[in-house]
Amino acid sequence: MKAWLGALLLLSSLAGGLRAQEAGHDGGAAPVWNEIKGEKLLALKLRGDAARGAEAFVGCQGCHKRGATGSPSGAYPRLAGQHATVLIEQMTDIRSGRRQNAKMLPFADEHVLTPQEIADIAIYLQGLPIPPNLGKGPGDKLERGKELFVRDCSTCHGERGEGQAEKFYPLVAGQHFKYLLRETEFIRDGRRGNANPDMVRVIKPYTDDDLEAVADYIARLEAPAAAPSQ
Amino acid sequence: MDTSDCSGRRGDAKFAGAQERTRAWLAALGFVVAAPAWADDAEKAKTIVANVCSACHGIDGNSTVPTYPKLAGRHPDYIVRELKEFISGKRKSDIMAPICAALDPGDFKGLGAYFGAQKPSSGTVLNAKAAAEGKKLYQDGNELSGVPACAGCHEPDAAGNKRFPRLAGQHREYLVEQLHNFRNDIRNNETARVMREVAKRLTEDEITAVAEYLTGL
Ligand code: HEC
Ligand code: HEC
Ligand code: HEC
Ligand code: HEC
Repeated sequence: MKAWLGALLLLSSLAGGLRAQEAGHDGGAAPVWNEIKGEKLLALKLRGDAARGAEAFVGCQGCHKRGATGSPSGAYPRLAGQHATVLIEQMTDIRSGRRQNAKMLPFADEHVLTPQEIADIAIYLQGLPIPPNLGKGPGDKLERGKELFVRDCSTCHGERGEGQAEKFYPLVAGQHFKYLLRETEFIRDGRRGNANPDMVRVIKPYTDDDLEAVADYIARLEAPAAAPSQ
Repeated sequence: MDTSDCSGRRGDAKFAGAQERTRAWLAALGFVVAAPAWADDAEKAKTIVANVCSACHGIDGNSTVPTYPKLAGRHPDYIVRELKEFISGKRKSDIMAPICAALDPGDFKGLGAYFGAQKPSSGTVLNAKAAAEGKKLYQDGNELSGVPACAGCHEPDAAGNKRFPRLAGQHREYLVEQLHNFRNDIRNNETARVMREVAKRLTEDEITAVAEYLTGL
């Protein structure tokens, strides 16, 4: 809980930092990555309640499944154990259209969820146990995958794929392979609207084989034990 | 803009006519509309059911006419909510709207409790193949078209809860009709928003199949 509060305190200064960082890249013209304002700021500031979150999440489990385990087919990501900050960022980006998700939007838009419920769901999901992963890749390029991950990804996503809550870097370890593969493709091909520009830069030159290798490696990383929810 | 309130007053002349007819009909059935001080809400609800609702929904809430829904075992909060939606006109029904408007909204809670406490019955599956396909859709959804699993909201055994109604054992004809009503925005109440989205993603075959499965539960 202390870490969570600490993360919140960091947010306002962080938002300013990101803005400055972004302005440096594109002469200030490009939209800021993950600008913390509006309902995103509100949901990050609100204190989430895991019990209320569990109730609000009932309307999501038709896709993300009970326990938020997602689908090994890759259609729906696992949400269990993800950092609350990341969940809030992704949900509000989906609502604002920065990250396009037409399938999910009608079940998570402003008619269905309040910013308070976004905060509630985030804290609930963060505390859920991460199930042993079923969605793995072919396993024939793991050496190459490790090399790429350590070189290009671990600075942000962490050596074990644990991510960094206060910087909005997602926990990726143990996510379904097919989902990871689709997202890395989206990121490379400019189809994930809210993708971090520094990440896009490192993934840009990847071949399809590289993406498969790194996604398979990540899918097999053992996710760390869940943080307590309250 | 709809100006009706829970007391069933409404400016619409055609509607008022239907309401008058219902009152007369209720009176003809021997039901006293403006009943004086009832000792017990449950007793009053029982009397209303016996005199009004049972004609269509059955005395135990297990209607035997396929277009009249079974109400037995539905969550009391859900029943109250739908009765109010009939009055507001957001859920359109030429049959239920005048009946609800002729009732005292103070009785809705008692009616919900009465039907909620009845034991629900199951129907008979006529097409086993369709029922098996329906089961798959109900439990897993359709990932390609983005239909969420019905079980996620309505519970794996389709017994429902206070937000998401019971579907188990319901008449297939009624289920199909309601799925069409959602899809065509005829059932336009706010709480049904997500359900309208679900229905718009269903094919006609999926509707037939899932209704067949649910009937048999
Ligand atoms: C109709 C199916 C569906 C429903 C219902 C649904 N989602 Fe999703 N959700 C998806 C899909 C599909 C994705 C992945 C989209 C992509 O590939 O970009 C997703 C992605 C997400 C993500 C981003 C995960 C990540 O790792 O970046 C979050 C967070 C999320 N959903 C939360 C929710 C919540 C909370 C609800 C309920 C209020 C919900 N979803 C309801 C289909 C759904
Ligand atoms: C500069 C920091 C940074 C680097 C480097 C980076 N990422 Fe990311 N990554 C992020 C952030 C931030 C997000 C979440 C928001 C977004 O989409 O940008 C993310 C999201 C993702 C996601 C989507 C996770 C989900 O749940 O939807 C995947 C997959 C991913 N990164 C893989 C990679 C891979 C593979 C590499 C290395 C080739 C990499 N990232 C390098 C910061 C980074
Ligand atoms: C003349 C036949 C008739 C009578 C009498 C009748 N109903 Fe109905 N009822 C219907 C029909 C038809 C529907 C389906 C409406 C629709 O098309 O949405 C319905 C629907 C309902 C629903 C919604 C069920 C669901 O699953 O969503 C409730 C609740 C209900 N009736 C309660 C009552 C109560 C309480 C009474 C007695 C005061 C009553 N009804 C009397 C025919 C009747
Ligand atoms: C996101 C949650 C959610 C999912 C998923 C969902 N429903 Fe519903 N459903 C609802 C809600 C909410 C209502 C009640 C609407 C109202 O308040 O009038 C409802 C009502 C219904 C009704 C009307 C019941 C009655 O008694 O009148 C039927 C039939 C139905 N759903 C079938 C389905 C089927 C079939 C599926 C799967 C293909 C499904 N639902 C998936 C939320 C959901």
